[in-house]
Amino acid sequence: MGNSISKVMGKIFGYREMKILMLGLDNAGKTTILYKLKLNKIKTSAPTVGFNVETVSFRNVKFNMWDVGGQDRLRPLWRHYFPATTALIFVIDSQDTERLNEAKEELYSIIGEKEMENVVLLVLANKQDLKGALNPQEISDYLQLNDHLNNQLWCVIGSNALTGQGLVEGLSWITNNTKEK
Amino acid sequence: MSQGIYLSDAPVRRPQYGGSPLVRKIQRACRLSLQEPDLSLNLDVADYVNAKQGAAPRDAAVAIVKLVNSRDTHTAVFALALLDVLVKNCGYPFHLQISRKEFLNELVKRFPERPPLRFTKVQRLILTAIEEWYQTICKHAAYKEDMGYIRDMHRLLKYKGYIFPKIKEEDLSVLRPSDHLKTPSEIQKEQEIAQAAKLEELIRRGRPEDLREANKLMKVMAGFKEDNVVQSKQLINDELRKLKRKADLFNEMLSTSENPDLSNDTLVELYSALKVSQPKFQKIIEEEHDDDNLVQDLLQFNDTVNQLMQKYNLLKTGETGQAAEIKLSAISSPTPTGGALANEINLIDFGDEDASSSPTPTGPSSGNPVDDLLSDLDNLNFSQPSQGFGLGGSISLGASGPTSAVNTTTAPGNNMDLLAGLSSPASPSPQPVFNAPTSNTADLLGDFSTPVTSAPSKNSLEQVKVEMSSSSHLRIDVELTRESDSVLKIVSYFSNIGTSPISELTFMVAVPKSMTLKLEPQSGNFLPVSAQNEVTQVGWIQNALVTSEKVLKVKWKASYIVNATPVEETAIFALPKI
Repeated sequence: MGNSISKVMGKIFGYREMKILMLGLDNAGKTTILYKLKLNKIKTSAPTVGFNVETVSFRNVKFNMWDVGGQDRLRPLWRHYFPATTALIFVIDSQDTERLNEAKEELYSIIGEKEMENVVLLVLANKQDLKGALNPQEISDYLQLNDHLNNQLWCVIGSNALTGQGLVEGLSWITNNTKEK
Repeated sequence: MSQGIYLSDAPVRRPQYGGSPLVRKIQRACRLSLQEPDLSLNLDVADYVNAKQGAAPRDAAVAIVKLVNSRDTHTAVFALALLDVLVKNCGYPFHLQISRKEFLNELVKRFPERPPLRFTKVQRLILTAIEEWYQTICKHAAYKEDMGYIRDMHRLLKYKGYIFPKIKEEDLSVLRPSDHLKTPSEIQKEQEIAQAAKLEELIRRGRPEDLREANKLMKVMAGFKEDNVVQSKQLINDELRKLKRKADLFNEMLSTSENPDLSNDTLVELYSALKVSQPKFQKIIEEEHDDDNLVQDLLQFNDTVNQLMQKYNLLKTGETGQAAEIKLSAISSPTPTGGALANEINLIDFGDEDASSSPTPTGPSSGNPVDDLLSDLDNLNFSQPSQGFGLGGSISLGASGPTSAVNTTTAPGNNMDLLAGLSSPASPSPQPVFNAPTSNTADLLGDFSTPVTSAPSKNSLEQVKVEMSSSSHLRIDVELTRESDSVLKIVSYFSNIGTSPISELTFMVAVPKSMTLKLEPQSGNFLPVSAQNEVTQVGWIQNALVTSEKVLKVKWKASYIVNATPVEETAIFALPKI
């Protein structure tokens, strides 16, 4: 019941709610990004075993942000989080060039799934503050999103979870590129 | 389908029902043009759900319940038939969906507050379905605690005055868990599917307590906890134990009379249960080859089953004489001699294995073996009714009583047989069985060792040669020489008495702890066909005192490959006294 009321309110006041799934290799900074957005604080976290979920309100949109652990063993479980996802945030450690290919493979295996056909894809090239980090353009080139993604909306934004740089831009890009339902 | 055939400008396409393939399949299975529910169409939906997983079970449940509530009786009846097929074929992921509160509320949407004087056909079918679930998956399923809402709905309807129809026993038995032996990988697969379904459902619900549970479940699924492995080991051991009891029973039924009634349902059922499980042995052995105890246990049990099969087939063709020659001692429980041997064995160390190979309890012995024996047969669940009580303090009146009553009446004849078998002297003694895997070893091969134990008549000889074992492939003779008061020389001779060459022969002997054994390397490890004493192995047992009163027992193990299949033989052997 409470749900239907909030839906009606949403219609009147233009509120929206959407599910955002945040994935990426381990140590990419997903959990840090989540809590930077939620609490505007840097929360040092141990590697996520399982997942974290928080709601973040931004403009008129309520984001249900799901941050699922990125360790090897958890990756096969990612697919259980796919249903009803509006946007995928794929976080990449821009300095970790060695595992860039691994990240690329994971990304393509996610968006190749049927359930993820219609999501908008935001790639966060995280850890821009670190020396030797690839810039968003380089990441974008490496991922070859231009060549492979025809039907999906996508965007690569550089970010720094510690300062919050790029995060709000990312969310507003998602807001602007998802249709009102 | 019955429209005329003509070509139009439009491309040739199947009629479009719209919606996802799943919804289309469901609609096709319930469409009005069908005369009666089409099982193949229904099974097609079940296969689709099983293959897709993910959201498919949920979508199917939602689509079907919508059809159940349609104004048209025909569609509703068909939808309920489809629902029944899915419940019976899609397992836990679908059970989880029908036990959702929303689904159940939707299912009884058209039920008036007070029961009508006469139920409609659809209402009757719905009540039947709920009663069936209540009696089966709410009680027997491995995840019965997730089915709480079905129980609640059953209680609620009962409270409102609805009367549930009686369910035929055959219909119930379909939803009972099948007690087939499964390989570890099969168990794991099932677990994975069930856990995935649960995880997705928890994520979908999204309440804080669900999310907490989802987080926990995820850790289990990702293998951060060992639960899964332990659980699957446990399951295998349980099933194996049941199978052994079945083999015991089978053996007894075959042996008690000269001409057992081979068309007896119980016999046939036991036969097929054993037969079906045989191919699984090989698979389990392949998957669990690290677990020496299990592998050894399985190989022996396999031999026994083979012999039983042979015996059964001989009896079938009327060769009673030959069949009577195949004698097997009780498999699952120690006979008096076996028990003694089993106790002894604790003192015996295996030459190349450490203490970890000493017998460890393989799971708790489940309750009273007599009850278990009975319950194995035809799935008479004696232990079940008691579980029905006090489940979360729920008042489930009369629910557990009738079940057991119905169950027992199904096979009165078998009970008699069983009880008769139990009281006969050869029957397994009703003590907790399977404490130690090795005790089985002793039992099984008890036949081999007993004839030789009577050998001490050759007491005075300085050197004796006896046959230690002979199987269908390999004969092992040992020659014992007393070298001094405390040292025994033992020479083993290996002969191939089968029809295929034996390769990769390895032989191990273990002696009691008080003694030490020194073995020379084998002279070879290959035995061509009909090779006599081709391979030998020399060893010395130290501290085997000539004065010792006790019979010196050794445990041996021979493994080899014949016809590309690995074979392992092992037994306890009492050395003749010299």
